[in-house]
Amino acid sequence: MTQLVADAVRQASVNFVDTAAMLLPRILITASVVAVGWVIAWALKWAVRWILLWLGFNHGCDRIGVGTVLKTADLPPADTLVGMIVFWLVWVGFLLSGVDVLGFTALEGMVRSFALFVPRLLVAIVILVLGVVCANFAWRATLIAAVNARIPSPRVVSGAVRALVLILAGAMALDQIALARTIVLTAFAIAFGAVMLGLAIAFGVGGGGIARRILDHWFPEHPSTEREEFRHL
Amino acid sequence: MADESLLSDDLLRQLVAVGHVDILVGIPTLNNATTVVEVVRAAQAGIGKYFPRARSVIFNADSGSDDGTPALVRDATTDDTGTVTASRPLRTTQRITTPYHGLPGKGSALRMIFAVADLLSADAVVVLDPDVTSVEPEWIPALVRPVLSSEAEIVAPLYSRAVSDGPLVTQLLRPLVRAAYGWRLQEPLMGEFGCSRRFAGHCLDRPSWGGGAMSDGVDLWMTGEALANGFRPSQTALGPRLLAHARKRPGLPDVFQQVMEAVSVCLEAHAGYWLTRGPAEPVPCTGALPGAVELGARPDVTGMAEAFRRDVVALHPVLATILSKATLGGVSAAAAAPGPLVYSDELWAATVFESLIAYHRAVMTREHVTQSLLPLYLGRTASFLLQYGSSGPAVVYDALESLGQAFERAKPQAAAQWKKA
Repeated sequence: MTQLVADAVRQASVNFVDTAAMLLPRILITASVVAVGWVIAWALKWAVRWILLWLGFNHGCDRIGVGTVLKTADLPPADTLVGMIVFWLVWVGFLLSGVDVLGFTALEGMVRSFALFVPRLLVAIVILVLGVVCANFAWRATLIAAVNARIPSPRVVSGAVRALVLILAGAMALDQIALARTIVLTAFAIAFGAVMLGLAIAFGVGGGGIARRILDHWFPEHPSTEREEFRHL
Repeated sequence: MADESLLSDDLLRQLVAVGHVDILVGIPTLNNATTVVEVVRAAQAGIGKYFPRARSVIFNADSGSDDGTPALVRDATTDDTGTVTASRPLRTTQRITTPYHGLPGKGSALRMIFAVADLLSADAVVVLDPDVTSVEPEWIPALVRPVLSSEAEIVAPLYSRAVSDGPLVTQLLRPLVRAAYGWRLQEPLMGEFGCSRRFAGHCLDRPSWGGGAMSDGVDLWMTGEALANGFRPSQTALGPRLLAHARKRPGLPDVFQQVMEAVSVCLEAHAGYWLTRGPAEPVPCTGALPGAVELGARPDVTGMAEAFRRDVVALHPVLATILSKATLGGVSAAAAAPGPLVYSDELWAATVFESLIAYHRAVMTREHVTQSLLPLYLGRTASFLLQYGSSGPAVVYDALESLGQAFERAKPQAAAQWKKA
């Protein structure tokens, strides 16, 4: 009995030593890969930030409205944000490569999945940025046009336009990374339909007078307004 | 030199038959059947009465009218001179009408008129607006004599205006051109003008002719070209300028957009001149004093003032990108202040210059910059009319002079910001 226990313990010890002998170099390699990856990712982050600053990237983002959105969302400036994205993408890539070296069956294929996910993530980010740009342009154009056309509540109208474009862009971005695709699409369709139906009912039933005033304003019998009473040139 | 490709063979044959002329009266038209006859008659009567010995031609560049305008120009008669055709001898008023091809608009028509003037070696060129119903024969000598006597190479009009007439000119263009170009010109948008052959030739040689905003803002562009290139300016009193009511005109947002684009294009084109130009000089004037204002009916602008208060609040996030904090604070304070709206001269000058710099820097879509300025312009107009709507001509003249000085004071800082941009 005692001999059996001793043999089992010996065998376990041998197995442990063998496994440790096999895993230790891999762990060291993984740690090295992760550490080197961190250094490379950090260096890339600063290089990207430096290049973007040199190119006036933040100024460009401010001009197209992305800078304002980032400030509103309490996010860092655009160059820092891009640097962070680069850092995490590179470092996670190294991290998964390092983990792959360990040879764990459960983690196999993660690197490949990540490699496939990164392009989709980048496309989603581009969609989001373009969405923000389009939303800001539409918001500003609507606001200015509504003010100059004397449409009531111009900020509400322009804000609604911006929200719609942002929601559309957000749904497209989530669809791109296939994150809860069914839920996102269903939720978007229901929400969008509900908003449109609600607006139609509210405008047609509750806002008949407003609708009449707006239509009278858009298609007047006598288009003269106070500001048109005198000749401007 | 005239680009002969602008002129058709048939037109060239007519021009060769005409030979050298002393005076060329150009009338660019597009569907002006209701008013053009009176303009032609006035031009012909003016030449016949004041320049009986001059060789002259009335040249109509038509942009493709479908209401018979060219035929009306050809057939218009006057009691003084009768119908004159190209077969008549010299020292009579020849009359030529021709369509032009290419980009539609006044710019292309003026280019053709200048090309004809260059080809005919006209000593003086007069351009009349076919839409004006108040044109008189006396406008011809008023616009021609300073050129023929070599006192000036560009003669701008001087209209009698009621206090509420033409605020886009009196509140924006006049003080802006005064400050930027350094000449106290009363009517920078020259609806009618006279000029020398040298100036016409200069304009023909410009590569930017007819392109971009020049199609709509050619009047202002010519003013800028004359002032920036050393052509001696003069202005002459023409009396009131009344336009035909029947004609459908663009709405205020479109007009404002065109004017602001033209201003910006001119400032960019002439930056080398206006950024270093010193204080404004007076422009020699014949007739009434510049800026004389006739008292008109006081318009009710209460609604405009209220709209301004609402619009400033609504547009605040957009204006924050265009205006400096100090200027935006001033505009917001003016909008929020109780009582009658007061939009001061200094604040308005800063608003205009900062908007133009924002346009120059393209801080956003340029159309958005100009359209954002429109509510502020209406607020300034309302403020001015609330303050001076029932004042006499002398008081209004002083107020407009004060506005011009405010623009001049604001110019150095604006020029520095423009250079940085």
